Amino acid sequence: MTTSPASLNADSPQVLRLEARLAAKYRGRIAATRSTPARSAQWRDLPADLPPALAEALRNRGLERLYSHQREAWDLARVGRHLVVATPTASGKTLCYNLPVLESVLSGGRKALYLFPTKALAQDQVAELMELSRALSAAGGPGIKAFTFDGDTPGDARKAVRTRGDIVVSNPDMLHQAILPHHTKWAQFFEGLAYVVVDELHSYRGVFGSHVANVFRRLRRICRFYGVEPTFIFASATIANPAELAERLCGEPVEAILESGAPQGERHLLLWNPPVINPDLGIRASARSQTTRIARMAAKVGLKAIVFARSRLMVEVITKYLKDVFDHDPRRPARVLAYRGGYLPSERRRGEQAMRAGKVDLVVATSALELGVDIGSLDVAILNGYPGTVAATLQRLGRAGRRLRPSLGVLVATTDPLDQFLIRHPEMLLGASPEHARIHPDQLLILLEHVRCAAFELPFRDGDAFGGEDLGEMLSYLRDEGVLQHQGDRWYWVADSYPANAVSLRSVAEGNFVVIDTTDGAQTIIAEVDYSSAPGTIYAGAIYMVQSQPYQVERLDWTGRKAFVTRTRADYYTDAIDYTRLKILDRFEGAVLGRGVAANGEVHLVRRYPGYKKIRYYSHDNIGYGNIDLPDQELHTTSVWWQAEPSALEAALPDRQQAIEGFLGAAYALHHVAALRAMAELHDLGRAVGDGQGTWFAVVGGDGRGQMRGPGNDALDPAEQDRFEPTLFLYDNYPGGVGLSAPLFDAAGRLVSDARDLVAGCSCAAGCPACVGPVLPGDEERALTPRQAALAVLELLLCREG
Amino acid sequence: MPGPERSVADRLRRLRGQSGLAEAPARAPAAALPEQPSFSERVRRLMVGPQRARSKTGDQDELAEQLGAEPVAPGVLLVERRLGARLRHGRVLLKPEIADAGRASASLMELAWRGASPDAAPRPLLFLDTETSGLAGGTGTWAFLTGILIAEPETWVLRQYLLTSLDAEPAYLEAVGGELSAPAMLVSYNGRAFDAPLLTTRFRLAGRPDPFGELWHLDLLAPVRRAFGRVWSDCRLMSAESKLLAFAREDDLPGSAAPAAWLGWIQRGEMASLGGVLRHNRWDLLSLAGLVPVLGEAFEDPNSYGADPHAVARHHWAQGRLAQALRLLEAASGRLTDAGRLDLADLYRRQGRWTDCCAIWEGLATQGSQEALSALAKYHEHKRHNLGRALEYAEALAPSEERERRCQRLRKKLRGSG
Repeated sequence: MTTSPASLNADSPQVLRLEARLAAKYRGRIAATRSTPARSAQWRDLPADLPPALAEALRNRGLERLYSHQREAWDLARVGRHLVVATPTASGKTLCYNLPVLESVLSGGRKALYLFPTKALAQDQVAELMELSRALSAAGGPGIKAFTFDGDTPGDARKAVRTRGDIVVSNPDMLHQAILPHHTKWAQFFEGLAYVVVDELHSYRGVFGSHVANVFRRLRRICRFYGVEPTFIFASATIANPAELAERLCGEPVEAILESGAPQGERHLLLWNPPVINPDLGIRASARSQTTRIARMAAKVGLKAIVFARSRLMVEVITKYLKDVFDHDPRRPARVLAYRGGYLPSERRRGEQAMRAGKVDLVVATSALELGVDIGSLDVAILNGYPGTVAATLQRLGRAGRRLRPSLGVLVATTDPLDQFLIRHPEMLLGASPEHARIHPDQLLILLEHVRCAAFELPFRDGDAFGGEDLGEMLSYLRDEGVLQHQGDRWYWVADSYPANAVSLRSVAEGNFVVIDTTDGAQTIIAEVDYSSAPGTIYAGAIYMVQSQPYQVERLDWTGRKAFVTRTRADYYTDAIDYTRLKILDRFEGAVLGRGVAANGEVHLVRRYPGYKKIRYYSHDNIGYGNIDLPDQELHTTSVWWQAEPSALEAALPDRQQAIEGFLGAAYALHHVAALRAMAELHDLGRAVGDGQGTWFAVVGGDGRGQMRGPGNDALDPAEQDRFEPTLFLYDNYPGGVGLSAPLFDAAGRLVSDARDLVAGCSCAAGCPACVGPVLPGDEERALTPRQAALAVLELLLCREG
Repeated sequence: MPGPERSVADRLRRLRGQSGLAEAPARAPAAALPEQPSFSERVRRLMVGPQRARSKTGDQDELAEQLGAEPVAPGVLLVERRLGARLRHGRVLLKPEIADAGRASASLMELAWRGASPDAAPRPLLFLDTETSGLAGGTGTWAFLTGILIAEPETWVLRQYLLTSLDAEPAYLEAVGGELSAPAMLVSYNGRAFDAPLLTTRFRLAGRPDPFGELWHLDLLAPVRRAFGRVWSDCRLMSAESKLLAFAREDDLPGSAAPAAWLGWIQRGEMASLGGVLRHNRWDLLSLAGLVPVLGEAFEDPNSYGADPHAVARHHWAQGRLAQALRLLEAASGRLTDAGRLDLADLYRRQGRWTDCCAIWEGLATQGSQEALSALAKYHEHKRHNLGRALEYAEALAPSEERERRCQRLRKKLRGSG
């Protein structure tokens, strides 16, 4: 509930007065609110077996006691249990792992490996450890040596890191490419290794997480070689399954600490929908205008606020608007600060210091600030658009909230389908059920690449295991490739190569394309595109966006894996026309759902990109077409699919053309809500409509209407088909699948109901990009609008009580 | 999960084409896709039946005979040769005394690594060179051939250990470790960065103590770089032996072909190229031995060897041999760089040879050398007390804080004295 203005007076905290003002002035824009009462700290004593110098150092820093979760972590780590701490932002997670690690360094001369997903976080951590080390020295203890080890570590410093570091702070990519393949150089380090600390666990999901799980399999194998079994300590932001994810990553049971003992002030959250300014087209005011307005109001009453934007460009735009208001006098210190990736590290450090010192009133940031960078605490967090996952939303909102003081979060919705869906279903967010982070470490291609790397590091023996597939078969495969030789009971590496260099942890397979900016005759690599999304995004003629700057692809060198682009000011974006033909190979499981069925299985997919549409910004008008000349793409993956009972379909939508359009619109809506549920990016999933036998498929044709096509992309008349069983597919967009389909099947009923709600609740008339996809002018006058057709399909697939 | 009837290999083959790992040729249409059991069946048969190695194993005895080698253990061959005391290598006569560290050039010994607390007693030289299965490094790289050259009274002894079977590495390392067990000074070419760490890795992987921790090590790349780095286009061993020893290899198997030669034997039993690898390794070792006396001479007399006299002189200077440094720079004075001439002037200055010293500075000052101008300003101010001249030189300096300070001080002094 929003605080009622009547109960407020001049002594009320400024945050509550701001909230009351917003509620009074903009009641219609606030779609939902939530308040969380303040929570007091749960204290525990410092452990009695803490080394005296460490206890002294903590006391000198004002730490007389621990929060309950910190003490729990200590107790578990001390008995050698793997553990994960999943407590909110700024609850003191770092100490959960630093204490047991420092104890093992001080008392046993042991070592620890810290892994962070990015270099910047690793550097922050080393700075914090150095501070602790100084406090230890001041308390009469020995100092500890913590070093970063990353791509920037100079060659002559690496030996010192390997032999003298008590704590080495690195990232999974370095572990994979530089440490494990050279483990003998790290022998001393491995022999002493007591702890592996993995912070930001929630970021290890999807393809990246699947790779890292295999890197950890290799790590544990090397550890066994040196006779150690380190304890894993994970720290995570809020996700639904921290323990499960941690267990899949390290391959052993992990204890979860989910209750935070840190105090928290009262928290208020507003879901904010910009007002409709064109009811016919369902167009709303921009989220940006709302965000800057709220930020201005916060700063004017002396509150400190952070604004999160989804792109680097948006950060710059919002910063400019706010600076125009607050920083017009250049002689005074800046009150508004932008913080995003792409800035120089020194610049970011200066910004962080200014924030910590409280010199900045408004910070505008991308997700660069989402991960654990310390910037002190703020009063208000404003999210310009839904960040894409509940977990990321909670983490960003958690940036506001000083201990025991109230804080306010505002999520400002954009017109994206996900945002509008959330506005109408605030319980998705407010019900605080963050997503599951999924990984699939036994994905065959990923697994094979790491078996290859592992075989390079240490010969396998007959009877060894690695992952969930038959290792012997994989080793034989590699022998046939000529990189392994089986002799005695061992498999020896016999190739003149260094396999880790060919495996990137951030993609399924090699063969990434680089995007090269050739503007003004230069040749600058500005982005990488993975193989599977390349044909749909960087074809010649495509507009490719980097940090919201549009580039036009001039030429695509398919075999050389290069796209040459130039900067452009085009007022349109491009959308590849994607003719996807799917054939069901194997059905694993199925379920009746309403008047239809849902199933889950393996599919073979042939994708052709015959051309692309040019679509103008804002109006979403088609303003032209282009051809794409690329080979067909084949994909063997997993999928979830829905089919309607033919008789029920015919009754609901007698016109087959309308049925096709209904399925296409339903697929659009389902695709978006499924990405939300799967904690995936939109492009991690693909969607298709066809008959499941590969005999026909449906696309939005050049005229903006749904069309039925045959195997050779020839137009078919739906009315002339004997059988008409449209099937709606959502498939895992990675070769072999990365485990996205099975959970979607489990939630199939829920997804349909979410999609139905998304379409039914949309404020447009006939359909729009926020529900069933772009529609044509005049569609609202049709007897059955695209939106109604999609609703009819979704209703058929909907599982009703009774 | 896909059905159990499909093998890993079959599934992988399908996936790899789709992931950009290989450009698959035109594929059969989707309808023909499902069951193509041949490949997976083949793999399965390979898995369950008795070991049917697809790769061909070579005949060890035949290889030993062809190489003139003796097996020291199953899978480890040793080629041992005694080379005469009057062995000629290029234009150098390789006398076994070369391996006597007591006779070796002091300059070279100064560039060697001699442990944390070196004792005074010289250690005999042990020449070492390995051939490896690749240059990428890491634990998957094998050091399959280790060649060692040592001196015995009146003769050289060359021993080359060749790993001919992968599972014999423990025995191979035992043999190599035995060669390295006595106190010695290793002599290698780039071995500090490459051969020694690679062998260390192999010893660690095999769970054996690392013999390299105790051995002194003279890596000849260091003196070659020092003396010739700025005059040669590259410092590879082949360049050094051709320029300094006038040794030309005939029909050499290049080092880069060694991995393929050995992997060809391991995987397919091909033995044709291994003799070439052994010969290449032997030439490397002989060149190492030849370079020791010649490099020693080059450090005494760089001009005769085309070495960089300035770099060599700086080495002697750093070791406290100022007279030798001065002699080398004087002898090369016509060919010195500006930095070399400044160093020569500095050495003159230290000896109080002001005339010689000023001649160099004045020559350089006319070309605008800041160091020379500054030195002359100081010289005239402090030695000759000629403030006017000193100011002239100081004013010729390029604008800088130092110039302003110096000029102001000199002007003040001039006013005071005038």
